[in-house]
Amino acid sequence: MTGGDNGRGRATAGNEPPRSGGYYHLMKAVIHRDLVIWLRYPVNAATGILMALIFFGLIFYGGRLVAGQAIDDTIEGLIVGYFLWTLAQGAYFGITNDVQAEAGWGTLERHFMTPFGFGPVILAKSIAVVLRTFLTSAVVLAAMLVMTGRSLELPLVTVVVVAALAVASAFGLGLAMGGLSVLYKRINNVANLLQFAFIGLISAPVFEIPWTRILPLVQGSALLQVVMRDGDRLWELDPLALAILVGTAGFYLGAGYLAFVLATRRARRLGVLGDY
Amino acid sequence: MSGSRHNVDHASDGPPPDTTTDGEQALTPETAALSVDGLSKTFGSGEDKVTAVDDVSFTVEPGEVVGLLGPNGAGKTTTIKSILGLVLPDEGDVRIQGVDVADRPRRAYEHVDAMLEGARNDYWRLTVRENLRYFAAIRGNDPDTLDDRHTELLEAFDIAGEADTEVRDLSRGMKQKVSLASVLAGDVSVAFLDEPTLGLDVESSLTLQRELVRLVEERDLTLFVSSHDMDVIEAVCDRVIIMNQGRIVVDDTVSNLLDGFETKGYRITVRGLDESTLAELQDRFELSAVERLDGRVRFEVAADSATFYRLTDALEAADVELGGVETVQPDLAEAFLEVTGNGDSLANGATGGTDQ
Repeated sequence: MTGGDNGRGRATAGNEPPRSGGYYHLMKAVIHRDLVIWLRYPVNAATGILMALIFFGLIFYGGRLVAGQAIDDTIEGLIVGYFLWTLAQGAYFGITNDVQAEAGWGTLERHFMTPFGFGPVILAKSIAVVLRTFLTSAVVLAAMLVMTGRSLELPLVTVVVVAALAVASAFGLGLAMGGLSVLYKRINNVANLLQFAFIGLISAPVFEIPWTRILPLVQGSALLQVVMRDGDRLWELDPLALAILVGTAGFYLGAGYLAFVLATRRARRLGVLGDY
Repeated sequence: MSGSRHNVDHASDGPPPDTTTDGEQALTPETAALSVDGLSKTFGSGEDKVTAVDDVSFTVEPGEVVGLLGPNGAGKTTTIKSILGLVLPDEGDVRIQGVDVADRPRRAYEHVDAMLEGARNDYWRLTVRENLRYFAAIRGNDPDTLDDRHTELLEAFDIAGEADTEVRDLSRGMKQKVSLASVLAGDVSVAFLDEPTLGLDVESSLTLQRELVRLVEERDLTLFVSSHDMDVIEAVCDRVIIMNQGRIVVDDTVSNLLDGFETKGYRITVRGLDESTLAELQDRFELSAVERLDGRVRFEVAADSATFYRLTDALEAADVELGGVETVQPDLAEAFLEVTGNGDSLANGATGGTDQ
């Protein structure tokens, strides 16, 4: 079975069902569903934000006790890195957990059987997850700034673009992991390990070891520091640095999507697509 | 009993001719609502190899309601999932409303949705109406334009009062109805329902059967229903496909299938039947369910017409007074057991279960 059919505006044999909706309605429905379900688990939603803040508080106040001035000197960097970490985590676990949950509920198969195709529907769900993650991470960011009494440059468009490109690579890993979870089911332990790898990637020494820029999140983290601490706008960034960010985002997102497609195809061959 | 008049092992009959004997245009893969040709699926390899679906072929007319029966492990769910592309078949062509599912899945999925067995199929944290709107949208519809239809659907399934209730707060039977309604929430012309009445009480099941029949007529819907509930199949379906060990063993109309069982049963009540005569009758005839009721004896006997007359002659000769005779018609459950030769599997299957 191939997904090579564009699914729109082609003559067909048999009945042509009246179609009243398109990608706009798909996107709207998927975002609405994601937000409503998130809000209907209020304890889970609140706990997520609260835990992120408690963890940051431990790092900030604990760090001040131990390292004092050193923490104060690097606090902006810590805030930006932590903001990106919550974004990356949210996107990564958001899509992995979503795919796992959908497989368990038996709704994953229904998303497979849509006139839009499985890929576009999964990408729509991915966008919904990223949007929600931006909302929660923005709350965490605001709370961190209040907690530390610091301020950051926030050129909104630049921050959103750079952060989105940075998160895209983490998201690609989430898609791959989601695909593997459809195929191998219980892989939570492996999936959980990656969140700690994100810490290393976000704080990778890009100036000392330049090749690390091609790893997920690394280039995005470096550029987000420049944007949020120095206030550089998108057009003021080094074009090569921006190209590397776009390239790594595209590569990891594409690779993750490909892994997801291959894993679900294998799951269909084994007859385990909807099993969990 | 023998089922001599139905199309046993239709799968091996080859492609249907272009016209029927009475000159009507026969179904082709392009005109059929559903066309399945040579579908096969094997899981595993070597000693673990299991052929779940073995060269299955059939066509379904637009507006037809076809029931799929079979004992556990017969390959029903794998067949349905292979038709829908949720399981990749090894071989075979599947067309839905003339569209090849393997070549043009998105176009094919415009016509079809499915309620799969053993799954929630919808979101329990969304309300009933939110579920209908969501699944209509991901099927390419603007949910706002379908509000009236959704209301009608909820009224038909008797859950309109729960439209704004989260599905998790509903009873199991209602959840099942929501699942079914969500499948029909979009503009589908073919729907697959795998165990649609599983978990429903008798009243809910009857309501569902009634509404399915009405929806089929109103919306010109083609239904493919897999169920262990023979009453559902008899009430809703025009035609039955029985599978066993991955193959189609019967493909015929419900009435033909029942008529095909030549041997009927009789429930006979008599007076003045002593033990020795009863023993003699039991030697000569297939008596069952013998009951003594206040001087009367009631029993069932499997007999064709000739055997029945021999029995009444024997009763007359023994000076036994005939109190009453009822015909016991075979039902689909008996036909199923006869065809598959597997009584236990039906009993087990009544509680549901997966095929793979």
